[in-house]
Amino acid sequence: MPPKRKAPGGQANAAKAGRVSAMSTPGPATPRSLDSSVMSDAEQDFDEDVSEAQRQREAMLSKEANDFVNKFTLGSSRMRGQTGDNEGMRSDSATPFFGRRDLSHLRLKPDHQNRPLWIEPHECSVVLERFHPLAEQATDFLVTIAEPNSRPRYMHEYSLTAHSLYAAVSVGLRPKDIINTLERFLKTGLPDLVRTKIEEYTRTFGKVKLVLKHNKYYVETMDAQVLQTLLKDEEIGKLRVHGSDKVTTSHAPTLGGLVIPGTRNAAGVHQANLKQAQLKPGEAADASNEADLFTALNEEDDDDDKEAVHAFEIADADVEAVQKRCLDIGYPILEEYDFRNDDVNPNLEIDLRPNTQIRPYQEKSLSKMFGNGRAKSGIIVLPCGAGKTLVGITAACTIKKGVIVLCTSSMSVVQWRQEFLKWSNINPDDVAIFTAESKNKFSGSTGIIVTTYSMVTNSRERSHDSKKMMDFLRGREWGLMLLDEVHVVPADMFRRVISSIKSHSKLGLTATLLREDDKISHLNFLIGPKLYEANWMELSQQGHIAKVQCAEVWCPMPPEFYDEYLRANARMKRTLYAMNPRKFQACQYLINYHEARGDKIIVFSDELYSLKQYALKLNKVFIYGGTSQAERMQVLENFQHNPEVNTLFLSKIGDTSLDLPEATCLIQISSHFGSRRQEAQRLGRILRAKRRNDEGFNAFFYSLVSKDTQEMYYSSKRQAFLVDQGYAFKVITQLANIEKTPDLAFATPQECRELLQRALVDNERGVDDDVETDDLFGKVTRRRGGAGNKKGAGNGVRRTAGMLSELAGGQDMAYIEQNKAANKALKAAAGRKKGGGGAAAEQSKFFKGIQREKEKSRARAG
Amino acid sequence: MVKAVRGVLVECEPAIKSILVHIDSLHQHEFIIEDLDENHLFVKEQLVQALKDKLEERLKETYRPEDPLEDSD
Repeated sequence: MPPKRKAPGGQANAAKAGRVSAMSTPGPATPRSLDSSVMSDAEQDFDEDVSEAQRQREAMLSKEANDFVNKFTLGSSRMRGQTGDNEGMRSDSATPFFGRRDLSHLRLKPDHQNRPLWIEPHECSVVLERFHPLAEQATDFLVTIAEPNSRPRYMHEYSLTAHSLYAAVSVGLRPKDIINTLERFLKTGLPDLVRTKIEEYTRTFGKVKLVLKHNKYYVETMDAQVLQTLLKDEEIGKLRVHGSDKVTTSHAPTLGGLVIPGTRNAAGVHQANLKQAQLKPGEAADASNEADLFTALNEEDDDDDKEAVHAFEIADADVEAVQKRCLDIGYPILEEYDFRNDDVNPNLEIDLRPNTQIRPYQEKSLSKMFGNGRAKSGIIVLPCGAGKTLVGITAACTIKKGVIVLCTSSMSVVQWRQEFLKWSNINPDDVAIFTAESKNKFSGSTGIIVTTYSMVTNSRERSHDSKKMMDFLRGREWGLMLLDEVHVVPADMFRRVISSIKSHSKLGLTATLLREDDKISHLNFLIGPKLYEANWMELSQQGHIAKVQCAEVWCPMPPEFYDEYLRANARMKRTLYAMNPRKFQACQYLINYHEARGDKIIVFSDELYSLKQYALKLNKVFIYGGTSQAERMQVLENFQHNPEVNTLFLSKIGDTSLDLPEATCLIQISSHFGSRRQEAQRLGRILRAKRRNDEGFNAFFYSLVSKDTQEMYYSSKRQAFLVDQGYAFKVITQLANIEKTPDLAFATPQECRELLQRALVDNERGVDDDVETDDLFGKVTRRRGGAGNKKGAGNGVRRTAGMLSELAGGQDMAYIEQNKAANKALKAAAGRKKGGGGAAAEQSKFFKGIQREKEKSRARAG
Repeated sequence: MVKAVRGVLVECEPAIKSILVHIDSLHQHEFIIEDLDENHLFVKEQLVQALKDKLEERLKETYRPEDPLEDSD
């Protein structure tokens, strides 16, 4: 029986309510095919099964977000304002070349040598002299108020953006402080243009807060005037909950007794903390008493009381409407969670283990989140391998409420759970996993759920179990939502997650907060501002992540290849520049060189065909989407522990969240166009190198590029992010002594031509498992691999005339397997080790039984 | 009767030569008189400028992709 559907008439109502969750959306207008009514619990594509109404709604929301984002980007008409004073402008023969960027009218201060900052008023960008004695202080300040653009060794560039200033205000900086400090560090006077911009941003941003207190949403503000504006607004005024006509006022929260566990501070006040814990309930009661008391007061009396907070209640359903309206009238709402005074949601018994010490930068990032004793929502950006997980866990230990963790794959779900158990004293029963395979609930009244984005957003019919689980997730309030690898998830999906699961605060974690489609600013708006971004160079100097030497190796294309390249279509071009024999030689040379040094090498290739060709030719192990889970584990284990296996070829499934601390060298032979994120994520694979703290240790990152092809263009684009983080790419045009490499592949033109022919023929036929999906969303490639094989078999059929005896070897025909995959060798070795008869011995009794049955039935049939 | 054609010797890298030959083949072989070796071509004199322009265009393409980035994940 097909599942029940609501009448489509409900659609209009749902849209009006302003808050539609994925599941409550009525069924699609188009009839479904029969098999969609089969309970499917597999992690599927998220988009194909979303109803039309919801898709439209999402498109609308996304457009609105776009408009909002555009409104606040610098250079838009709203923010441009007056064009500043051009009085002091000198003009000489060079003036026309500078155009708008002629800043000679900004006079240097007499003691400008003692100040480290330059400013560019039109773009609002600030340049810091990193070698300046005051650079440390200036950096601290800039990190708070501005977003880093580029941080090479001696010069840093930051820009003041709407979001960064918004974040600054949200950690409690006042516009006056920002302007004064800037004035102090700047070599020139602060241009009026910038001053007005800062004032304008900070006047509106962060003034209004949305607080979930006692499970009710309150709109809060420090400024009585703003409150009046909001209440008088026709839309918001209406949405205020009736019966709570009075405006409540209470004291502003302070950091007070809040200590982030794991910090030095925490260790010091451990004793005091115990006492405080006992006191807390009383404290909370006091606070609420006070609130009651102030409720009685008239709002006009509070005008002069600067520390007072004014609030009014709104209904849950209206939250989004109010948020939107506030944006329209220029008071974007900041979300905060007063978790210490939340006595409705039960507390979770969780604390960091006493021996856990978090690193200084982790502490810094968390102090941004808990700046005023409440939990702010936002995004923390730390490089790969710098301990993002621990930051998340520490945040959970600080809030001590129910936590829901969302990650990208079921593999990392398991990792997150293990990390929770490793770093905190939480009861293992309280950390539950919700994936396609296991659906646990925690035993107590609250706990931690670890799941994937796709499990939560899947709006297709589910199995009974997971449906029940989703209702459970939806039905309760979460203290904290941890969003791992936030950059990978489409904004629409976030909207679905956020609207379906109610959580008081959200913390996004990522290493590379960038997307080529520039949708990243939507995240700012859906989750919160960027709270903290670590400096990669600084961390590597302190030894938290490995030092890396980056190099780009230019490989010329042999004429035959280049001729073919010019004629080929886009896909063939990619294959050709990946299969460039010179590149192959460079790869071989680098592998030999680094294996001799004792490095463990990962070779990345996006292009599956070349991945296989390289790995087979060089006789190395490889993993791609079609590799079975067991084989993957075997290969990875061997790579980690077997001294014979030092090189691993990986397709893009290894880009993220694959933890291989042994790897110290990375070679990239083909990549995903100009994706800066992929480049950074791949680099991340070697940042956590185990040996990073050895004297003079360096990890190596090579990117092989075919000369005169589009790859050159993409490569420069890809590097942009890492260059901004302070990495320098060396260009190598000629590898020394490459021609002396023993057994150099494709050394003769003859071999090159053969390779070319083979590449052309193979790809013409369409090696169709070329299409590979990321492991990321748990779209396990097994399915695809299977389809690919079938198709491949179909294409592989050939009709030739011959003798039957020929096939059996009668005409001196012999079969050998050439280019045996190294993976198989591993398997065989493992088989031998297990003792005895190879494959047969490996089979369990159960499978042998099945086999026997099969044979019997076949015999009967035949 | 002997027919003389005035030409220009063009010396270039193999890759550039490949591009030139490719352009030539797209235009009914009107540019190149003789393909000499890996680095040399013999080109009709009056068409050298036209060929240069075509090459410039082509090189711009190489460093700017023809299709927009498809990085949508």
